[in-house]
Amino acid sequence: MAATADTIFDQHLTARAFSLTSAFWFAFATSIGMVAAGYLIAPDFMANIPYLQFGRIRPIHVNLVLFGFVTPGLLAAAHYYVPRLLRTDLFSQKLGLMSVILWNVAVVSAVVSLSTGHSQGREYAELIWPVDMLVIVSFALVVLNLLMTVRRRKEPVLYVSIWYACAAVILTALTFSLGNVIWRPDTGALLGIPDAILLWFYGHNVFGLLLTPLTLGLAYYVIPIVTRNPLYSHTLSLIGFWSLLVVYTHIGTHHLLQVPVPTWLKVVATVDSVAMVIPVMVFLINIWYTAKGKLGEIHADIAGKFIFTGTIFYFFVSIQGSIMALPQVQRITHFNNWVIAHSHLGVLGFAGLSALGGLYYILPKITGKPLYSRFLADLQYWLVLIGIVGFTVVLTIAGLVQGNSWFAGETLYRTLPEIHSYYVVRLSIGLFIALAAYIGLYNVIRTIYFNPGEEA
Amino acid sequence: MSQKMTPTAVVLGSVTILAAVVFVVVFWPYQQADYTPSEIFRYRTEAEAAGRKIYIANGCVYCHSQSIRAIDWGHGATRIAQAGDYVQDRPILLGSQRTGVDLSQEGGEHPDDWHIAHFINPRYTRPNSIMPPFEYLGMEKIELLTAYVQSLGMKAADKRMARQRFWKEESIRAYEAGIDENVRWLAEIVPQGWRDIPNPYAASEYSLARGRMIYQAFCIGCHGPVGDGMGDAQPWIYPPPLNFTILKGREISGGIIYYQLMNGITGTAMPYFKKDLESEKLWDVGNYIAAYFINEVDSNGPPRGIDAAYEP
Repeated sequence: MAATADTIFDQHLTARAFSLTSAFWFAFATSIGMVAAGYLIAPDFMANIPYLQFGRIRPIHVNLVLFGFVTPGLLAAAHYYVPRLLRTDLFSQKLGLMSVILWNVAVVSAVVSLSTGHSQGREYAELIWPVDMLVIVSFALVVLNLLMTVRRRKEPVLYVSIWYACAAVILTALTFSLGNVIWRPDTGALLGIPDAILLWFYGHNVFGLLLTPLTLGLAYYVIPIVTRNPLYSHTLSLIGFWSLLVVYTHIGTHHLLQVPVPTWLKVVATVDSVAMVIPVMVFLINIWYTAKGKLGEIHADIAGKFIFTGTIFYFFVSIQGSIMALPQVQRITHFNNWVIAHSHLGVLGFAGLSALGGLYYILPKITGKPLYSRFLADLQYWLVLIGIVGFTVVLTIAGLVQGNSWFAGETLYRTLPEIHSYYVVRLSIGLFIALAAYIGLYNVIRTIYFNPGEEA
Repeated sequence: MSQKMTPTAVVLGSVTILAAVVFVVVFWPYQQADYTPSEIFRYRTEAEAAGRKIYIANGCVYCHSQSIRAIDWGHGATRIAQAGDYVQDRPILLGSQRTGVDLSQEGGEHPDDWHIAHFINPRYTRPNSIMPPFEYLGMEKIELLTAYVQSLGMKAADKRMARQRFWKEESIRAYEAGIDENVRWLAEIVPQGWRDIPNPYAASEYSLARGRMIYQAFCIGCHGPVGDGMGDAQPWIYPPPLNFTILKGREISGGIIYYQLMNGITGTAMPYFKKDLESEKLWDVGNYIAAYFINEVDSNGPPRGIDAAYEP
């Protein structure tokens, strides 16, 4: 029996390593987030420690959540379901392990460089050139491994999850290189207004071409299995895939509606931000109809529960995104905590919850043993759920207070005391999320290394 | 499942779509970009450029925008940002949040010493600020950062800076001439009409209570909790913050205090508060300063016009 477990372990080395990566950086990133939230309440808290100064740790928090927690979590699942759907083994576990190691080197380098003040100053593209290179090589290794796996497949038909996983890693490797202006190692930037246009093209596509496709691929895999229903519609999955690539990719300028970029570009971004309803609803109709009548099964399965909840957040965050792209709405919502609420709703509520669901789906499969604790996973689910809902509500209110005060002609300084109490509530609710991350880390480590459970 | 979604179709199809999108929404605007400088544009000096690097390294961009929006017009904005303002910026630092104020026209709003006190600890000059202290940078870098911030607004900032420098010299001359001369100068820079009027609001309990709240949110950092000019910012500021307790018997009317609060004293660290505070709040702070620190109140005295409905 022990031999069986060992075989399973070796077969899933890459998925296991990505799972640990994700769980670890989730805990680290939320801890950094807590420190950052602390500064907004008490700015002299840990004053004059350069490495922990707010302006330095905010990009660390963002980069860690995106590239330390969510992406590796979704990639862990992809390294499990891609070979399985193709009825073959992953092309190379050694290559996979190398990609995970390099990935972690890149993430650690990002933390060290940003905390020591090495930044290119472009939101979502802060990392200096050598770190950019590490990220690109890590992505290239993942692309190579997944494409070679596709090449060696024994199943002729590619299921929709394969499309999403492959497109996500290939296109992100490209947009990452472009968005970080890697042909200019010294600044990593273009000149003037075009720099902003490129930056938000890229920043927007971190969600559009990385987190969203990987998450949708995961949902397309897990929801039919958990509900034991066939996928509702193949046609819808085709429409959803191609429309996502066409629409999501070209609307990043909705971040720049209030600055002097060409008007035609703003018009395109605004109109097609509304058109995002098409890829979003096509996916949701497909997945929700697949789950129709099987909510009991979803509730009973911890992975299904996380991922299905993620799809509900996808609905909210996407519809909100379309509405936020309207210039009239942005007059109030831009530049304030409304946007911070929106980004947490998307990254934690949609992609983050789904990534955690992906981990809980694959962990029993890749270890050959049941999850160490279903109770802890459930506890994590509720802590994150309460955390993200509370977070969204309180930051949305704070954002409305800020936006409406400014709109009424109030100076920013006068609005600071108005939002102080919301910052306090935000930190308190953030504790739920940080606690959930540590519980998850414990559960993942116990499941992989110290699992007393019976082998399946 | 369709056999048409082959690996080639997925990979080539998605890369082609991405290429088309990049061409239209990134490359085309880049190709068509207009790099004509705006009317306020000028190049940065070496010190200002070095300060900008410090600004980037320490993540100032996450809390401060550098772009006044068209929609801010009519809501207090004085100039809308133009593409020609950014033609030397690599990277561009538009910002995505206003956790702090917009800085695109910050240059010359305050003299250098105000900024230095503010970087040492923002609460020294702005008690309610939530900006972290930057004392850890050391004086050399703080001065470079100050040079950069003072350049924001370019030619428009230079104009304001020239004004700051002129009045800095005047204020230092007055301060160094002794108390009598300084108080005389501080009163004489106020137009006669303002000097003649007393505070039109009664120094009632509620007026003083509100004055105290506002004093603590705006003034305490420089003038200190007892109004003696020994606030936390004092060591960094020259001429130092005014000691209110020396003003008794020197004919400091409510109107003089109001005018100085409203307009500030350009050249010194005393900012103008007319954008932050509406009229009655300024008068209330004036009453608080007069009652508690000067110990000489002219509120609601003659000459006065018709009584306001709610006044005691």
